[in-house]
Amino acid sequence: MSRIIACYKWVADEADLKINPDMSVDLSKAKGKISDYDKNAIEAAVQMAKITGDEAVTLTYGSKKAKLSLKDALSRGPAEGFWVNSEKAEQADGAASSKALAAAINKIGDYQLIICAEGASDTFARQVGPSVAARLGIPCVSSAIKLEFCENEVKVSRKLENGIEIVAAQLPAVVCILPEINRPPIPGLKAVLDAGKKPTREYKIEELGLVESDLSARTETIEFKAYVMNRKNIVLDGETAADQVKALVGSLKKEGII
Amino acid sequence: MPGIYVYSDNMKQAAALIGLAAQSGKEVCCITLDSNQANELKQYGPDRIIILNSHSPLPENYAGIIAELIKKEQGELFLAASTVRGRELAAKTAGYLDCGMVSDAESLVFEDERIISSRLMYGGSVVQKAVISQLAVVTVPADNLEAVKKENVQVSIVSLEVQADPRVRLIETLAGKKDKIDLAAAEKVVCVGMGLDKQEDMKMVEELAQVLGAEIACTRGIAEERQWLPVESYIGISGAKIKPSLYISMGVSGQVQHVVGIRDSKIITAVDTNEKAPIIRAADYSIIGDMYEIIPLLIEELKNA
Repeated sequence: MSRIIACYKWVADEADLKINPDMSVDLSKAKGKISDYDKNAIEAAVQMAKITGDEAVTLTYGSKKAKLSLKDALSRGPAEGFWVNSEKAEQADGAASSKALAAAINKIGDYQLIICAEGASDTFARQVGPSVAARLGIPCVSSAIKLEFCENEVKVSRKLENGIEIVAAQLPAVVCILPEINRPPIPGLKAVLDAGKKPTREYKIEELGLVESDLSARTETIEFKAYVMNRKNIVLDGETAADQVKALVGSLKKEGII
Repeated sequence: MPGIYVYSDNMKQAAALIGLAAQSGKEVCCITLDSNQANELKQYGPDRIIILNSHSPLPENYAGIIAELIKKEQGELFLAASTVRGRELAAKTAGYLDCGMVSDAESLVFEDERIISSRLMYGGSVVQKAVISQLAVVTVPADNLEAVKKENVQVSIVSLEVQADPRVRLIETLAGKKDKIDLAAAEKVVCVGMGLDKQEDMKMVEELAQVLGAEIACTRGIAEERQWLPVESYIGISGAKIKPSLYISMGVSGQVQHVVGIRDSKIITAVDTNEKAPIIRAADYSIIGDMYEIIPLLIEELKNA
């Protein structure tokens, strides 16, 4: 039995993001969550492990805030949760995250497939999966919408701009999945209770042969501000719905659109 | 020979990247996998073109080769277009080079010894500006960038025999469906959200779209959870990005992940029962009301218009 490792990121929930009057961004009140598409990655790992008889496990790189994520991740079906715990994760970029994850994957060992989501809901940079593969020296396939094991390869359907491509990658490999690959169920009460009994393993970066400077961001952020979309923001008034509709059609005519 | 290396699997975008890189005043080296493309690309005036010859038809398998080349020549920047292949190739190259990366840069400003990049985060609601001052990889959405031909330029073209990574092989390519809707090119778009109660009610939406001459789109929930429309129809950060003259939403709450896909619309119009819904703040014109009441009235009004 070998492992299928789903990587996920514990992110600030964008629904709790507050914009200050000076357009600065306040994330201090934001609750954490497993990044949306990472739930698809965990589900994909659980599904694949059922077929192959492997063990699905999860891995995250995060600060102490990410401790909360372990039970949530395990309630989705994996057998064990791994966590690289470092405050450096708060300022991580794709280079740092992929370095930390690759080091942890080497430590966990005995894996045949790493599943990442295409991108995280905060940055959506889509870097980590392919960079982890490069650092581990194993193949990678991104934009995956279907996975199938055959012999020592994983067969992947990929969504490209103009159609679907089917490729086969030698195992072990990294695949980055799109959310349409599956529909992760909401964990039931029993799954949530069971999750508390499952084993978790915390790594400090020193155990992974890393030092703090390895995990510094390579680009320097100089501004982090709300995106301003200048729109007219006109709410159409009217006594009745018919009046509102008339006002709307009138406005669109004035714009020269209809 | 330090400089900027550019690549795209899309010819038009590769040509546009040459122009973008040239703004830096540094040497521009264009990488291609095809000698015919090299002849085409040379009209855009890069300083050099390197053709990588190997057996694999998958550009992603050349990441290791590109990283080696950049390392050997002490390149400063690898610029790739944000296509599916380009993003994967770029992120792998960054991994091999152990360097920083900026994904989907909306703007790049070249200063003396640094580059200021900006990109969107949190589904498009936040802009992050960052400084690049050492070797880095950057991807750029290049479909709207213009490529400019140059006359009388000397381009050195070199062809290299290389060994692409053989571990991912192409089995089959299935072309997209012919009747596939092209939302990105649509002039008008009617978009339905979770405010739609039943699949049968799509009829009403279809009628509105027909009267307007619009394409029909939806939110991710309608395509993925309810599966009432194909996944190609959903707009958002992981779906279609549109730039019509008119976007009308019906029962769409307007979460940031959706709004990022409609940002380039000329006029945004929203109909929703909830006046606090984010879509109202993102709209030019909105009606606070029930789509079930508004749509039939709107169809009538448009017919008479």
